[in-house]
Amino acid sequence: MSGRILVVEDDERIRSSMRLALEGEGYEVKDAASGEEGLDLFAEAPTDVALIDLMLPGMDGFECCRALRRSSAVPIIIVTARADTHDVVAGLEAGADDYVTKPFVAKELAARIRALLRRARPAEEEPGALTFGDLQLLPEQGVLRRLNGEEVHCTRTEFRLLCELAASPNKVLSREQLLDRVWGYDYFGDGRLVDVHIRRLRTKVEADPAVPQHILTVRGMGYKLVP
Amino acid sequence: MKLGIGARITAVFGLGALVLSVLLGGISYFTVRHFLLAGRESAAQQQAFSNASNVRTSLEGGDTNYVFLLGQVDAGTGAHSVLYHRSKAYVSSLSVNASSIPAQLRKEVLAGTPATQTYRNAAGQEEIAVGLPVPSVHAAYFEVFDLSDLDHTMSVLGLTLFVAGAVTTLLGLALGRFASRRLLRPLSDVTSAAGAIAGGELDTRLDVEAADPDLVGLTLSFNAMVDQLQERIEREARFNSDVSHELRSPLTTLSAAVGVLEIDRDRLPERSQRALQLLSDDLQRFQRMVSDLLEMSRADAGSVDIFFEEVNVSELVQRSVETGIGHMDGRRHGTPEVVVDPQVEGWRVGVDKRRFERVLVNLMENADHYGGGVTTIAVGPGPVLEPAPGRSGRLVEVSVDDAGPGIDPAERAKVFERFYRGSASGRRGTGTGTGLGLALVAEHMHVMHGDVRVESSPDGGARFVLSLPVLSNGDGEGDGDGDVDGERDELVNEKEVDA
Repeated sequence: MSGRILVVEDDERIRSSMRLALEGEGYEVKDAASGEEGLDLFAEAPTDVALIDLMLPGMDGFECCRALRRSSAVPIIIVTARADTHDVVAGLEAGADDYVTKPFVAKELAARIRALLRRARPAEEEPGALTFGDLQLLPEQGVLRRLNGEEVHCTRTEFRLLCELAASPNKVLSREQLLDRVWGYDYFGDGRLVDVHIRRLRTKVEADPAVPQHILTVRGMGYKLVP
Repeated sequence: MKLGIGARITAVFGLGALVLSVLLGGISYFTVRHFLLAGRESAAQQQAFSNASNVRTSLEGGDTNYVFLLGQVDAGTGAHSVLYHRSKAYVSSLSVNASSIPAQLRKEVLAGTPATQTYRNAAGQEEIAVGLPVPSVHAAYFEVFDLSDLDHTMSVLGLTLFVAGAVTTLLGLALGRFASRRLLRPLSDVTSAAGAIAGGELDTRLDVEAADPDLVGLTLSFNAMVDQLQERIEREARFNSDVSHELRSPLTTLSAAVGVLEIDRDRLPERSQRALQLLSDDLQRFQRMVSDLLEMSRADAGSVDIFFEEVNVSELVQRSVETGIGHMDGRRHGTPEVVVDPQVEGWRVGVDKRRFERVLVNLMENADHYGGGVTTIAVGPGPVLEPAPGRSGRLVEVSVDDAGPGIDPAERAKVFERFYRGSASGRRGTGTGTGLGLALVAEHMHVMHGDVRVESSPDGGARFVLSLPVLSNGDGEGDGDGDVDGERDELVNEKEVDA
């Protein structure tokens, strides 16, 4: 599989080893030692995936994610030292699609990138067009728009998540199912990925995200979409 | 037995009140008695003197009708007279006789000295006897006054004083209790603050403004102590996170570099392949060690964030075993069998799935290293507790049996200590454990509100039993089975995900 990857990492040795490992997997790697440099590189030539370390000198990883997200829907993986902190949620809320913890195994990182790239391409089985509220989801065109024609921008992961929910309206999908279908994780995937993405999706889809009408939580079970 | 400060203060107050009331009561009793007695005595003396004077007049007149004479003298006074005349004694009433007069008094009076004596008669009644010599007619006149009314007055007074004393003592005890409560109240504030701090609420401080002026010193030094404690803990947490970052960076480089080598493994000479294998195995072990140590130090610093998910317990155990096998290091004794009691089907628990998986991996590794491998993993109902709000009161137990020699009962509590290797220490050479595995099992179970214990399995091996509180007995709906009908109205708002 090929693709272009932006690596933003301040530690030179980690950067070199990541470049070696990812090039070994067949990717083309561009690397940057700071958030600012990374954003410049991306602006010059957008990549297919961005890998951003959260602990960066100067502009930190969260800020870098937000800046990147403002201009692009590129899949972002954040690299964090700890999985069980607020950092993960904060990073996801800053716009990241997935995360890996240091020290990561190269194979695992490659698997995460593959899952994101696969998802960034059109899925094979898409649900038909679905209208809910004042929104219209057109999976085959990769478009979510309001009935007045205004397009709602969402990342590919958000879009994919919405499509999975829309493929079986009124049915509860568990976190595990969504993690498997959208992110390619097994049973032990991090449910926070789903929760934060649902939250992000609600801010775009719901009139009042605090009182959702379409993307509903079924306590202890998962989520469902109600047209 | 050691008395508490509250009990001691109460006792001191009670004792003080008792001593004070005994003292006051005693003084009042004896003073009153003294005055009453003195009054009665002088009245008795006056009466006796006047009677003696009458008797003398009569005797001087030669009247020797003693009975009539004495009867006349006694009339209406309630007193009784005894008259000695010419060495013979005459009495005014049958209730007295010559021996009623105390010998000492009689002797003195007969010798010519007037005297008065208070005493108790043979019947135990208090009496006062006044003796007056009447030398002019060679007689001695005695008059005995009954003091039983005084006795009665005094006993009423005594009882009154006793009751007052008892009431005062009780009031003293009550006051002491109140005072000790009052005194200890600031201490109970300190106690609850210290408890909150021990429970991890490091921002807790005592209110200096509201503190008792006498306790400002204590309050200030308590707050200063907590400030220092908090600073040390935060410094330690910072240090841990620095160490974490510093160690993880080279590990990340190593891991990525070894990953590159592994891609090209087949092109390496055989000796290098074996070296690479050793390198990558020990790198993995090193990573586990670092993450175990950091996990442990985070638990010590109380900075564990946990992400709870509500899951079906039998699915959790089955998935954890399946996935866990792949995450185990070292040798392997085959895939263990998972036996699920039908009773727990559908039971749901709140866990951090990855922590739970680690718990099972650690137990399976422990069984592999020290117990000849896992024989059975069983899921079944545990004891029933008192239900509480948000809890069903049920426990579910997951037991992991191994084929080893079992663990000596004396060692069972210790196996969960860090770096404890016990009688298995001789086998260290082959072990890939970090010595933290079981300690982490206990740690993880506690943060998930569960517990772990070890006992012996029916086959004589060790049995580790995990217990977890059950959130709901479910209604048979698993959340991983899909296609659960969505027409439930159990909808709630999004829960906080990083709780």
